[in-house]
Order: sequence, then C-alpha cells, then structure tokens
Amino acid sequence: MADNNDWEPKIVAFCCNWCSYGGADTAGMGRFQQPASTRVIRVMCSGRIDPLHVYNAFLEGADAVLVTGCHLGDCHYVNGNEKTELKYQFLEEMVKQLGLEPERLYLNWISASEGERFANFINDVTAKVKEIGPSPLKPEGVS
Amino acid sequence: MVEVGDKLVGYATDDEVRKRGASGGLVTAVLAAALEKGMVESVVVLKHIDEYEAVPIITDDVEEVLASTGSMHSVPVNLAKYAVDRKVAMPGKPCDIKAVIEQSKRNMIDLDNTYLVGLNCGGTMPPVLTKQMLIEMYDIDPEDVVGEDIEKGKLIYRTKDGNEKAISIEELEEAGFGRRKNCQYCQLKIPTNSDLACGNWGVIGDLAGSATFCEVMNEKGKKLIENAVEAGRIEVAPASDKAIAIREKVNGVMVKMGETTQEKVFTQMPDEERLPYYREALADCIDCGGCKLACPVCSCGDDAKCTLFHSLGDNYKMSMFHLVRLLHLSDSCIGCGQCTDVCPVDIPITRIQMSFSIPVQTKLNYKPGMNADEKPPFFEVMIK
Amino acid sequence: MTKQEAITNEEAEELRIGAFICECGVNIAGAVDCNAVADYISTLPNVTTAVVNKYTCSDAGQEEIKKAIKDLDLNRVLVASCTPKTHEPIFRACVEEAGLNPYLFEFVNIREHCSWIHMWEKEDATKKAKELVRMGVARAALLEPLQSSEVPVTNKALVIGAGVTGMQAAMDIGDMGFQVYLVEAGPSIGGKMAQLDKTFPTNDCSICILGPKMVEVNRNPNIEIMSYSEVEEVDGYVGNFDVKVKHKARYVDINLCSGCNSCVEKCPVEVPYWEFNEGIGTRKAVYVPFPQAVPLRALIDKSICIDCGACSKACERGAINMDQEDTFSELEVGVIVVCVGYDVYDPEPNHDFGFGLYDNVITTMEFERLINASGPTMGKVVRPSDVVQPKRIGFVQCVGSRDVNSNIYCSSFCCMASLKNAQLIKEKYPDTEVYIMYMDMRTPFRMYEEFYNRARDMDIHFIRGRPAEVTENEDKNIIARIEDTLTNKIENLELDMMVLSVGAVSPESTEKIRQILKVSRAADGFMMEAHPKLKPVDTTLDGIFIGGMTQGPKDIPYSISQGSACAARATRFLAQGKALTEGITIAVDEDICVGCGVCVPMCPFQALKMDDDGKLEIIKALCKGCGTCAVACPSGALQQSHYKNNQILAQVKEVFAYEEV
Ligand SMILES: Cc1cc2nc3c(=O)[nH]c(=O)nc-3n(C[C@H](O)[C@H](O)[C@H](O)COP(=O)(O)OP(=O)(O)OC[C@H]3O[C@@H](n4cnc5c(N)ncnc54)[C@H](O)[C@@H]3O)c2cc1C
Ligand SMILES: Cc1cc2nc3c(=O)[nH]c(=O)nc-3n(C[C@H](O)[C@H](O)[C@H](O)COP(=O)(O)OP(=O)(O)OC[C@H]3O[C@@H](n4cnc5c(N)ncnc54)[C@H](O)[C@@H]3O)c2cc1C
Ligand code: SF4
Ligand code: SF4
Ligand code: FES
Repeated sequence: MADNNDWEPKIVAFCCNWCSYGGADTAGMGRFQQPASTRVIRVMCSGRIDPLHVYNAFLEGADAVLVTGCHLGDCHYVNGNEKTELKYQFLEEMVKQLGLEPERLYLNWISASEGERFANFINDVTAKVKEIGPSPLKPEGVS
Repeated sequence: MVEVGDKLVGYATDDEVRKRGASGGLVTAVLAAALEKGMVESVVVLKHIDEYEAVPIITDDVEEVLASTGSMHSVPVNLAKYAVDRKVAMPGKPCDIKAVIEQSKRNMIDLDNTYLVGLNCGGTMPPVLTKQMLIEMYDIDPEDVVGEDIEKGKLIYRTKDGNEKAISIEELEEAGFGRRKNCQYCQLKIPTNSDLACGNWGVIGDLAGSATFCEVMNEKGKKLIENAVEAGRIEVAPASDKAIAIREKVNGVMVKMGETTQEKVFTQMPDEERLPYYREALADCIDCGGCKLACPVCSCGDDAKCTLFHSLGDNYKMSMFHLVRLLHLSDSCIGCGQCTDVCPVDIPITRIQMSFSIPVQTKLNYKPGMNADEKPPFFEVMIK
Repeated sequence: MTKQEAITNEEAEELRIGAFICECGVNIAGAVDCNAVADYISTLPNVTTAVVNKYTCSDAGQEEIKKAIKDLDLNRVLVASCTPKTHEPIFRACVEEAGLNPYLFEFVNIREHCSWIHMWEKEDATKKAKELVRMGVARAALLEPLQSSEVPVTNKALVIGAGVTGMQAAMDIGDMGFQVYLVEAGPSIGGKMAQLDKTFPTNDCSICILGPKMVEVNRNPNIEIMSYSEVEEVDGYVGNFDVKVKHKARYVDINLCSGCNSCVEKCPVEVPYWEFNEGIGTRKAVYVPFPQAVPLRALIDKSICIDCGACSKACERGAINMDQEDTFSELEVGVIVVCVGYDVYDPEPNHDFGFGLYDNVITTMEFERLINASGPTMGKVVRPSDVVQPKRIGFVQCVGSRDVNSNIYCSSFCCMASLKNAQLIKEKYPDTEVYIMYMDMRTPFRMYEEFYNRARDMDIHFIRGRPAEVTENEDKNIIARIEDTLTNKIENLELDMMVLSVGAVSPESTEKIRQILKVSRAADGFMMEAHPKLKPVDTTLDGIFIGGMTQGPKDIPYSISQGSACAARATRFLAQGKALTEGITIAVDEDICVGCGVCVPMCPFQALKMDDDGKLEIIKALCKGCGTCAVACPSGALQQSHYKNNQILAQVKEVFAYEEV
C-alpha cells in the first residue's frame, strides 16, 4: 500500500443535474475547499445512476463511489431518487458480499443550496478512504 | 366436486399409463386430457432417450404425451422457456415452476394460458456423475438400469435382471455423488407455486407405487383435475389424514435438510477472503455465455446489459459480465443450478450467484418464483 | 472498447473536437495552469485544437469558437469553464449559430468543481482539470446530435398567492392580454400588506394604497380570482400544465352574499381573530375578513359554528348554505407564478425576550394591528395587561433573524418597520419615550437612510445592544437589562411595553405547494431561484417562477418588482406561444428490447407503454428525460439520449489513467 499521506484516492461522484450537481457548484461558489480526489459525473436524475455504472467505476479503479441526488420529495422527476434508493439497497448488499469495505460506497441526498454539506461530504469520504487505502478492485498500474 | 385446497390420491384409468407412470400416471393423464379437451394447444413433456437422457418436446400429439410417463431423476433440464408464448400445459419440478412464474413477471409467459402440473422433487442428479456413481458405489453397469426410486432417504436402482440396490443419499452425497449441489440446499420440495402439486409422498398402503398424490393449488388446478375426470382419464379420491400427515412429515424433513445444507454451504467467508475467492473462481471463465443462455429466469435476448458492457479486452479484476449478471439475478435467482450445469469450465456459478442472492432476497424480503403478483424488487418503483 | 462504442465509432465520421479552456480572468487561471491543460488536451485522440481564452463566454470567446468550427471543420466543441447550470444554454446557442447541433457541445466544469475548491493547490488543481477535460473529450467523442421539439403553449397563467406580489404579477400578465387564474388560500386577496398600518419610507397608509390595487385586480377582465382555494395537483410541463384547484367551502354563496354583515351581527359565537388581527380583538363564526376584503364576502368557520341558524335567518339574500362542499376546478395553463409569501417568526416556543411569559411583550405584527386606525383598537395603542396606553415603548431588533439559534439570515425589512412604528408613536403620542435596541441599523435603498435620520431627529433613543435579560415587575412593566455597546453602559431599562421586531420565515403551509411543483428549497427554507443574480425569479423548472417573500425576506417595493419580473419572465412563453422541450429523451433499440415491460411502471410520466403486440411504445412528448427507466431495463435496450451508458462509462474510464498526466 502506498504511503497514505501522499496517496490521493480517486472518487467518482454521480450527481443529478438539479440538486447534488448544484450542491457541488454551490460548494465552489462558497469556496469550500476540498481535496482533489473527486470527479463529478453529471446525469439528469439520480434515477439514471445505474448500478452498472457504479460497478464499472470500481472496476476502472475508483476507490469510492458516491451516488447522490435530491432530497426525498425533491426529485425533479417525481420520485427518481426513491428508485435510486431501492437500487442502492442492491448495490450495498452486493458490494458488501463482494468483500469491498462499506467505506467505499455512499448514498447521499444533497440539495443545490447545500454547498457546505457537499464539501464536508467529500472531505469525510476522502479521509475515510485514505484510511483504508486503495480499492482491491483497482487494476494494476492505474492512478 | 373438487375444490381448491383438496388433497387427493389418484391414478390414470389407462392401466398401461398407470403402470409406466412414476407413481400413478396421473400427471401424464391430466396433461393428455388437457390437450385432448382443448384446454391448451400443446403440452411440454420429456421424450426419453435412455435412463440418463431425455429431451423436452412441445407436442400436440396425445399419444406422444401418453408415452412420456416416468420421472427422470438424472435429467436436470429446466422446462420454463418451453412455455414462452404458448398456450401449454406442462409438468414441472418446483424450480421449473419458479422459473415460469419469474418469466411471467417479465411478460414472457401468460399464466392464464399456462397450466402447471408440479412434481414434488427431492432433487435431480447430474447424468455423467450418476453413471460414475453406479459403477463406483453400486457396482452396476449403467446400461443395465431399468428404473430408479427414492424411498426413505435411499436411492434405489433396479436392474434388468430384476434386482435392486439401495444406498442412503447421505452416504452418496458424502462421497461426492447424489443430487446436484443446488438440489441439496433447495427448500421447495412440494411445488405449492404450481396449479397442481403431484408426487408420491403420502401414497400409502395398497396404492403405494401405483397412485399419485396431488394437491389442488388453485382454480387452474381444479380445472385440470375436473377436466381429466370428465374425460375419463383419471380417478381420484380424497387422501386420508394419515396420508396427508406422512406427506407433510417427509416434506418437513427434506426442507429441514435443505436448510441445514444451505447454512453449511453458505457460511459467510471472512470479509477479506471473499473478493479473492470470487475473483479466482471467475477467473477461469472463457466467456462462452452459456450461463446467461441457460438461465431460465432471465428474459433478455442475445444482447443485454451483461454482454453490452463487457469486453475481453478489459483489464478488470472481475468481469462486467459476471458483475452485471450477479446484480440482475440477485433478487430473482431461483437456484435451479442450470448455469453451473452448463459451464464448460466447471465454475460453480449457482453457488456464487446464491451467495449474493440469499442476502439480497432476505434483505428485500422477496422469494422469487412463488407469487406471480409480487414484482422483483429491482423493478419496483417504491420502497415498501 | 465496449461493443457499443465500437458500433458508434464505426458509423461515425472523423471526429474533430475543439476544446476551449477558459481562464475566467483569474477565477480559473488563479489555480489552474490553463495552458498546461490545453497542451495536454491537444495530445488526446480526436482533438483538433485546444485553445485558452481569457473569457470563453465573452463575445470574443464565442466568436473564436464559431470561427474555429468553420475554419477547422470542428464537429464537436468542448468548453472547460464554469457551470453548465448557467452557461450551457449560452454555448449551445453559440455552436448552433455556427451550424453545429447544440447537443454536440460538451461542458466541463473546472471552476466550481476545480479552481474554486482547490484554490491553494495549483498542482492538484491543474492535474484534476486535465483529467476533467479528458473525461469531457471522451464523452464529446460519443455525443450524438439531438433535436428538441416545439410544443404549443396554453396562453393562460396561474398565479398562486395573492399578496401584493401575486397581485402585481397577475395584473401585469393580465394587462399584457393574457388570462390569469389568481389562486389565494385565504378568504381575501391582499396578503400581509393588508394587515400593516403605514408603510415605510413614506408612511402612507398601507390599505389606502393596497385597497385600490385590490379593487383593480378584481376589475381586471383578464384576472379570475379564486379565493379560499388551493392548488392540489400539477401535472405537465412548460406550456402545458394541468392544474387541479380545490375551492374550499365557505358555506356562503359568494354570488348571493353582498358582504353586508347582517349575519355577522347575529352570530353568537365569538373567538379571537388570529388570522388578521393577531389575536387582538375578535371575530364571529361567520365573518367578513376585513372591510376592504376582495371579494367582500362572508364565510363561516365550521370548526366553531354551533349550527344555530341565526345567520341564515339574518341573511335576506339567502346566501348562507350549510351544505356547501369543497369543489374542484381543472385548469390548463402555460406558466405558473408562485407568490405564497411568508410568516412572521414565532417567538412563543423559545420565549424570546419573555414573549409568551409576560403580557406586555408583543410582536411588531401585533403592533401594526394596534396602531392601525381600522384595527381592533381603532388605532389606540394600549398594552395587553391593563389596556392602558404605554408611555415607554422599546423595540428589540433581529428577533428570529441573524441568530444562529433561529435563522441566520437578515430579514431586511424589520429595521425599517421598527423605525416606521417608532415614528408613528412619536407622531401620535409625542410624549412617549421610544427606544430601539439593535445590533446594526440596516437601511439601504432610496430614502431609507433619510428615514433613519428622521427617526433620530424625532428624539427616538437608539441603544446598540439587545437585552441580555428580560423580567417583569409587579406593575407588569418590563425590565430589560441591556448594555449599550457604544457607551459600554449597562442599565435596567423599565418599559411599559416591549415590541419584538420579528423577522420572516417560510411558512410550513407552503411546503405542500413547493413539493407539488418540485421547486427547490434553499437552506433558509424559502424557495430557491435558478440563479441568485442572473435568474432571481426563475426556478430550475421551465415555466415556473417565484417572487416576493416566497423567494426570501424583502420589503414591498422589492416584492412588487419581483411580481412584475415574474410577469415579464412568464409572459415570454405566453407571447411566443411555443416552448422548446428537452431534446434529451429516451429511445428504445427494438432489436434488443424483448418486451419484458419492466420499464413501464418506472416512468412517473406515463411515457412508456406496451402496445397490443407486446412491443414497447414511447410517447416522446411525455418523456422528461430522467433516464430512470433505462436503469431498470435489464437488456440495455432503453437508452437515454445524451446520457447513454457508453457516454457515461467513457467518462468513468477517463477518470483513471495509466500514466501520470
Ligand atoms: C427429478 C424428480 C424428483 C422427484 N422427487 C420426488 C420426491 O422426492 N418425492 C415425491 O413425492 N415425488 C418426487 N417426484 C415426483 C414423482 O416422481 C412423480 O413424478 C409424481 O409422483 C407424478 O407421478 P405420475 O406417475 O403421476 O407421473 P407420470 O405420469 O409418470 O408423469 C411424469 C411427468 O414428469 C415429467 N418429468 C419426468 N422427469 C422430469 C424431469 N426431470 N423434469 C421435469 N419433468 C419431468 C415427464 O415428462 C412426465 O410428464 C420427483 C420427480 C422428478 C422428476
Ligand atoms: C411587521 C411588519 C411590517 C412591515 N412593514 C413594511 C413596510 O412598512 N413597508 C414595506 O415595504 N414592507 C413592510 N413589510 C414587509 C411586507 O409585509 C412584505 O414585503 C410583503 O407583504 C410581501 O408580500 P408577498 O405578496 O410576497 O407575501 P404575502 O403578503 O405573505 O402574500 C402571500 C399570499 O399568498 C397566500 N398563500 C399562501 N400560501 C398559499 C397557497 N398554498 N395557495 C394560495 N395562496 C397562498 C397568502 O394567503 C397571502 O395572501 C412589513 C412586514 C412586517 C412583518
Ligand atoms: S426517461 Fe424514461 S422514465 Fe424518464 S421520463 Fe422519459 S420515459 Fe419516463
Ligand atoms: S425493460 Fe428493456 S427489454 Fe424490457 S421492455 Fe423495457 S426496454 Fe424492453
Ligand atoms: S432529479 Fe435529483 S434525484 Fe431526481
């Protein structure tokens, strides 16, 4: 394992266009500093986040994957996030069974105004992942 | 009159069918009557080749149906997909029926058009291994076998010369023979998910060996029986309390056995050992796609999410193909063992799948293949 | 490469991607070495050019993009700058002008998501920016042209809430010639302004300027007022909203009633009038909201009515109808303006400054009713404990505002409201001692600072500080222990009455309509605009606008401006008669679809259905492009355009690299 202090994990964050992506924007507008660990991928609704995308992110080398969207009741497509929550139950159980640490997968609802919450989330997750080190699914030679 | 919930003992009125039948030939007679009277357009049955081989056929020939008597314990084929897009009656082990119900949830089978005659099932045996077992454990030339039976926990083989030999299943399974692995932990022995649940448990006294016990599970089952009685193909009488009790008891024992085995087989490995285990087990995969094709629950065509995002060129530590399949079957896998059967490199796919499916199905409180009105949770819209 | 990528690439023409990296002055360039990013990007496959701009969104920047499209024959354009939430439409329009399909444009956010959050880690920020752009390039290569379609717009508007903001919005839309439904939850239009006495900074009588406006709204032939009504359901999308409105039973036939008050006189049931008079004074079970109400009609409060029948007997017009039931209307409108207003902060639960414990601590809203000539005391200011006119009155500012324990925001109007009320007392009872206890006096905008100076000239005492402790003596006088932080003097100030200058909060009761409409809620609880500067009255939802207190605390002039702004923004759609729908929708690959139908219940908009042959049918006009169904589809037959699996996975892949960048 690399020296965890130098090592910067790679985290893939799937964000819905309306809320959590806006939350990431608001974090920027508020200049809430974050480690450069996370790459945001925008989709229209958290309901579009396919567990297959999450798997793929792990297989490509993600040290953690974040599934994010609007707060329940706030989804811009009525209840896409409720469907996300259901699919997430599968993911959670599957990832656990696979033997990946629970610190590598998160579901979080963040509104477009919650910039600080977004930044705190990234800070927390990055710290946790740094503690457990690179993902065992990360292919050789990937940074 | 027959009612839903009735437990009956009956047999085929045609002596020849009754004699050839695994129990009382009732299943064959019921299927034949359904075809004859136009309840269905065709019937799915097994066409025997020899003791270890049979092929499913879809037929509208009553004679062919009548010729299909007998239980093939070493033919672990799944019949569900033969019912797709047809108006059929079919016999089926509990796992056949489960698969039919899962297919119906995916718009592939219309249950209103499908009559399901369930067969109790203590398990099936892999054909190749069975022949080896006959030689090694029974000292019988597989070619000499004319019949088989399961009684009191023993597997009995009858040979041409009129002899028979019995060995306890436990002993066989300890030696690595006997039932397929998934059958050993299967916990549905009486197909209560079918229209008519038939078997030999509970057939006692004089009738033992020459009658079939059947439970009428629903309106369709009732129709099947009434139709066959009307057609003069079967005779039935209510089962005695004793018969019912015996059936329950044997079933109870078998289910318990299944549970114990499941606990043993699926003892949770330590966290850090799981990923290496799965990776190693799946590393041998040669991408033939056989498991996908064989799965009786999956309704996808040749292309599906598991294949579309998988490529031999990936340098992934696990294959997208298997991860996506594991996900998509996690709520719906019925543990029928078809995928393991077909895998040319002997990957225990069913066992791997079930180690994901058991916790997911437990967590989401979903039993696939049991209730046609209950949707697989992955396709649910709201959290219950 | 996945199979799908292979297929797409086979068919595609040669890819020519132009990447434009924006420095955004120093906003991006301050943390990201944009030239290094451009150098790196130009080495990637399919990238024809990579350019750095000072401001890509400026005219010059946009011209450069257009020129490059033409000169270099670009067929994909990528801009790495700020957020697509504000700038995507701008760049889409830009590439479209140069003849490129707007959906062949890819946006990469290297400001909010990079330079601004890694301000002091230049190396990390630059590396991350390279990777973000690399992800964008991979995605751009897989983008496909899409067509957005035009939908006709129903040329009617719905305005929800008829406070001063909603009234203004309705009038402006009506004056522009479009029909407006004005739905008001209360029995009369007017909102909180109708309760106020005078209004700053001119101290003209509130109802005297609002009343005529209310009448005007009522007379406007294009406005249909639906009072005592609430929106129950909203379906559809910009241009075509289907709205269900509930008209609550008034138990009085609004067409027969003339508001004559005969029934009110006879009604034997009397309760405190909370809704309008803040519990000072009473109303009957049957009542007319207030003398200037529009519509000027009675209603019956069934929760206290004893069914004695006195009102029926009293009413000569036979307007009382005890059997009335709630009724419903179905409306079709093209746009929706939301002006549901605010509540004043409630100091009761925390007993702020003794409120709720001591009789003579009241709120400014109660004070407005007390000093109002048509209020319950006919304008006589008396204190609650003994109904005697107080000689020493103190105002406490920022109650429920600028306080980590309640709301951290400034409610903005309350300094001015207290200055106003202090002046009114001095005018009415010149010998009253008036104190204002404040943290800062906030008086921006025209004539407001002058208004403050005027108060100072009127011998009103300003104490910078707020009471640390409030007690009551045997005379029910209030003792406020307060330090003036300007003089560092601590004193026990004895007051006959203390008025809490309460701020504004977003009412719990507006949460329902917010959720029906799916408008976002900001951290302060009020509804959220699309952009705090550029789109202050838009929401992220096309065709839905917010104004006035709904969007956060503000005073009347600001509220009215927003009402007009909403009207202008909304009427654009009505005037054009058409709106563009999202080009991003769902499509099915019929070769792959097996017709399992699991996708059908996934769609919240009923855009999917199985036809009689068991084939999947997509009703494009209903699809809003969330892509949820594509996740359920096990076969991968359903693909959301612009967010196809291969497009998303290409981005995922490029997060990671085998060599250092
Ligand atoms: C593998 C297997 C295990 C069984 N285990 C038990 C048991 O433990 N306890 C018990 O009470 N009963 C068991 N049965 C059921 C029993 O053997 C009889 O099938 C049942 O009693 C009906 O008898 P019958 O004479 O009416 O059937 P028949 O008239 O003989 O008709 C049998 C029907 O079963 C079909 N069939 C034969 N083999 C298979 C197969 N492998 N898969 C699917 N369909 C098949 C045939 O096509 C035919 O239609 C088992 C059956 C099978 C196939
Ligand atoms: C004590 C006090 C003194 C003030 N003095 C001044 C002053 O002197 N000068 C000044 O400029 N400003 C003053 N203000 C501020 C002023 O009251 C507001 O700026 C103004 O009233 C805001 O108007 P509005 O239409 O946005 O909201 P509101 O007046 O709150 O109107 C909202 C309307 O929407 C209705 N509604 C709510 N929910 C629904 C629903 N679900 N469906 C339908 N209708 C609904 C409500 O019944 C109400 O009629 C004062 C405020 C206070 C508290
Ligand atoms: S993307 Fe699918 S689920 Fe979403 S609106 Fe369109 S059809 Fe419905
Ligand atoms: S889920 Fe996919 S395969 Fe099934 S019907 Fe819908 S589009 Fe077709
Ligand atoms: S739009 Fe954000 S979760 Fe659906």
